[in-house]
Formats: sequence, structure tokens, C-alpha cells
Amino acid sequence: MTEPPEPAAAEQSDSGARTGTSGGKDGRRHGPGPGSGTGPSGTGVSAFARAARRLPRSVSGRATLAGAVVSGLLVLAIVFGSRLLHDFDSALLPYAVATVFLAFGVAYRYTVWVSAPGALRLFKNGWRSLFSKENFRKAPTALPKMTATYLGFQKFLGARSHARWAAHQLIFWGCILAALITFPLTWGWFTFTSGSGSGPGYEMRIWGLKIIGFDSLNFLGWLMFHGLDIAAVLVIPGASYFLWRRMKDRGAITGQRFAYDMVPLLALIVISVTGLLLTFSSIFLHGGGYEFLAILHMVSVVFTLIYIPFGKFFHIVQRPAAVGMQLFKYTGRQDDQVFPCRRCGEAIDTGPYVENLRGTMRDLELGFDEWTEYCPRCKRVLRGNAYLTQVKKGFK
Amino acid sequence: MMGRTMFIDPGRCIGCQACVSACRECDSHRGKSMIHLDYTDEGSSVASLPTVCMHCEDPVAPCAEVCPADAILVTADGVVQQADTTRCIGCANCVNACPFGVPKIDLQAKLQLKCNLCYDRTAYGLAPMCATVCPTGALYYGTVEELQAERPGVQVADTFVFGESEVRTGVAMVVPAERVRWPVPGGLPVVEINGKDVRR
Repeated sequence: MTEPPEPAAAEQSDSGARTGTSGGKDGRRHGPGPGSGTGPSGTGVSAFARAARRLPRSVSGRATLAGAVVSGLLVLAIVFGSRLLHDFDSALLPYAVATVFLAFGVAYRYTVWVSAPGALRLFKNGWRSLFSKENFRKAPTALPKMTATYLGFQKFLGARSHARWAAHQLIFWGCILAALITFPLTWGWFTFTSGSGSGPGYEMRIWGLKIIGFDSLNFLGWLMFHGLDIAAVLVIPGASYFLWRRMKDRGAITGQRFAYDMVPLLALIVISVTGLLLTFSSIFLHGGGYEFLAILHMVSVVFTLIYIPFGKFFHIVQRPAAVGMQLFKYTGRQDDQVFPCRRCGEAIDTGPYVENLRGTMRDLELGFDEWTEYCPRCKRVLRGNAYLTQVKKGFK
Repeated sequence: MMGRTMFIDPGRCIGCQACVSACRECDSHRGKSMIHLDYTDEGSSVASLPTVCMHCEDPVAPCAEVCPADAILVTADGVVQQADTTRCIGCANCVNACPFGVPKIDLQAKLQLKCNLCYDRTAYGLAPMCATVCPTGALYYGTVEELQAERPGVQVADTFVFGESEVRTGVAMVVPAERVRWPVPGGLPVVEINGKDVRR
């Protein structure tokens, strides 16, 4: 193992598979191997990163266009939603600018993501299942049920671990609450106005229209003005649990990377703590250190918003696609289109799903797509038998 | 093939399931075994075949290629990692695309599970759990030179053939010397002869 680390087998461009003899003899080793002490947090190359590096110009152009259109639409929505900037709070300008960057980044990456064969086929099939009238007639409650259990209450996380489910729910609802409050505020869509200047009677307006009037001194008023504090109180224990787990749980530690796994949690905690400190400053310190805290809070939020499309937070955007996938499989099952293994007859999945996967494999030039018609166990047994009869005949 | 990697010799496997138990004991996936041990002709032969992830190099990780959520990471050392828990949507594309039948799926947890060559151990120079406990050396972890020093004359192959396609892997299999020039058969049955489906 004298060679420097090569950037993964992933980067080899020679597509012709070769007959391997013994490792090392032909100098094709990819040292150092896992035993060379690169550490569990060694840098990795995700399929996305690899795809991005060899991104066709057409995909890149389409993604740039999507990003420009979405961010342009958001700018227009901000301008018109704030009544031609009449309601726009210039103190919140950095946040608003960050959301425009966020919109560009999310649209760009989303376009690149759904352009890859595996995602594209499921993306199309998911939407096709959603818009099929026939499917809707057969199972009208399927989509709302899946959305609630899968995206809202995240039942699948409970199957992984109850503690992780609880912590994720805290983060999820905290972030939803924070996003619902802050995004419209920074865009100038929400305003809180008081006829008497300093209250206690306030009016909440959306796009200039009065939605609700409240007394800032009563419970509703307290809730309205402390919504972000409540969000922070939800997020901090959830993110702290995950941070603790990342330091203690062997499964989580294996292969974890600081920028990918730790930074998002630290960002959530920093945002929440600095946000709470703003309230602390105004209540207990008479505004002492408020300006510094406000800048610290703003910087952490802005960086986090810009980070969303590039790191772990992108799962927020990706996850709804899972509902499409589930719906696609569900509709296949409704029609009893189960595909049995060619050898043992065990159900592999739905027929349309198997056909979809075969199509994906053909797109990717993986020339063994007919193998998908066998269940994983039969693949192993058939390979074992082939070895037994053709490689080492004395094996029995 | 990776520098230090796993070498599988089914001829030495006695089907004792020690590898399965050891894998289940691993602290990084407590209670779940990632290794498969299959009896190829159950009832009439004791022949068995242990299967770990072969860490495909060319084409690189078909499981990662077909993943719609881009959840499977290939680390710089060629190890195909288990699906990222944040991203995995439990679609089972990887399960059914893997030519070796390696990944498993937990449908309740919507999560793929697969061998990552005990990354928590191999990253620090330790052998994977299965290779550590295998009593017959059917699973061997090291370099090919170390293997050949221990077992003089042994040869390994890292290319498998499925129909007309070949897959080169990071994990290798022990083969007789006269077979070393040929890829190991992947087991894909002949499905068509002269345009006629011969499966049934």
C-alpha cells in the first residue's frame, strides 16, 4: 500500500469490466484500504457528487434555469406580497436575500437530482400514480394517509428507534413552526401593527389584509410573540439528543462526517440558542448585548439557509418523493400486480416496480437487469451452485 | 480490488453460522446480521456460501447507481457504505439491483441494511467480525500477499459474469489455479435461446 489514496473506484472511467486475477499483481489496487487508518470519517464520494462532476451540460443548464426561475418568482412574490415593499422590513433584508439563494440552490439541486435515471423514473411514476383518476377512485384516502404518517408523524422513524423518532419530531415541528413564522415575516407578508403605537392591541395582517386582532398582554398575544422561542425550545432538546447520539452511538459514529452530520445539528442549536438569548436579553438584560446577538443569530440563520441545498438538510426536500414512491408501489399492489421470483415464487415487489427498476438499470447500462426477476436469496443460491458446479467441483 | 480486503473461499465453509452470529453482535448494527449464509442445495448437501457485500468497483456500486435518493456513499477507499439513514426511502431498488443479492430492507423502518465491511473496525486495521470468528478461514481479511503467504499456491478472482456482463469487485473469491483466468460465474440462468424464453 504505497500508493496515495485514490478518489474511489467510483472515479474510474474504464467501463469495460476486466477479468480479475489476483489483487495487486496488476497494480490496480486502490490502497489504502479500510485498514490503513483513514478513520471512519474519511472523505467519501456520493453518487450525487460523482454525478455532479460529470453533469451533462444540458442538465446543468436546465438546473440553472430552474434555479433562476424559482428565485425570480420568489423575488416577485416578495415585492408584490409586501405591497411593493411597503411592508418589507429592511432589518430583515439579509434573511430575505438568503431565502432567494436558498430557492435557487434548492431548485438547482432538485433538478439535478430528478435528472438522474433512478430518481427520474420514480419521480414520473410517483406523479403518474398521484394524478391517475382510477387510482384516486380506488383509494381516495391513500395520499393524505401516507402524507400524514410518512411526512408528518414519520412512523418509519419509530421503527428505527423510539428515541430518534421523538427527537426528530421535536426538531421537525420546531422547524415547521419557525419556518411558518419567519419566512413570511422576512418576505414582508406578515405585519403586526398597532393603532396605538406601542400596543397592547395588535393586528396581524397577511398581504395587508387583517387576519386577527389580539391583545399582546393576554395568552394569545404571548404565544404570537414567543412562537420562535417555543420553536427553539422544541429544537434544542431534539438536536442535542442527535448530537449526543453522534458522539456515543457506534452505528451513528461509523462513517460520520463533520460537515455532513455534525454541522446541521450544531447550526440548529446555535440558531435556537442565539434566538432564545435575544428574548433573554430583552427581558432580563434590558436589551444588553442585543445587537451582537442579533447579528450572531442572523449570520447563523443565513449560513444555514444557504447550506440547506448542499448538505444533510436536503433530505427535507427529497423526503416527499418517498410518498410518490410509496404511492406507486401501493397502486401496483391494489391491482394485485405482484411479481414473483422466477425461481422460488416469493413476491419480489410489484410488477410495475420491477419493470421500472429494469428500465433504470438499462438507462445506467447495467447489463444484468434480467437478474431483477430473481429474489436476493435465489441470486445467492444460484451463484453458489454455479461456483459449485463450474469453479470448484469438489465442493460438495 | 482493495488493498486489504475480504477473500471468500466457499470450499472451506462448513455452514456453522459463526459469521452470522458475530455480525449480529457488532455494536454498529446490534441484533441484525448483514452477512448471508445460504445452503445452496439444502437437504441433499452441506455446501454453503457466505455472502458479504462485494463492494463492486466496475461498474461501481450498482446499488448506489440505482438509488433514487442518492443515499449510498462510496468512500474513497472503495467501500460501499450502508444507505444514509436520513436519505434512504426504503424503495428496495438497491436490494433488487444488486447482482449478488446483498442488501436487505427493513420495510417498517424504510431503511436499507447492508454489509459495510465492518467499517468501524476495518478503518482501524481490525478484521471484520465475520472474518475474525470464521473457524475455517472461509472468510479471510488481509492482502492477497498475506493470503498467499498463509496458503501457498492459492489464487483469487475478483470478476464475476452475469449473462454477458462482467462485474469487478473489491472483495474477491478464492478459485482453483486453473480457473483464475476466467471470471467467476454469477449464477444468472440462461433465460433465452434464439429469442425463445427457456425459463419455464
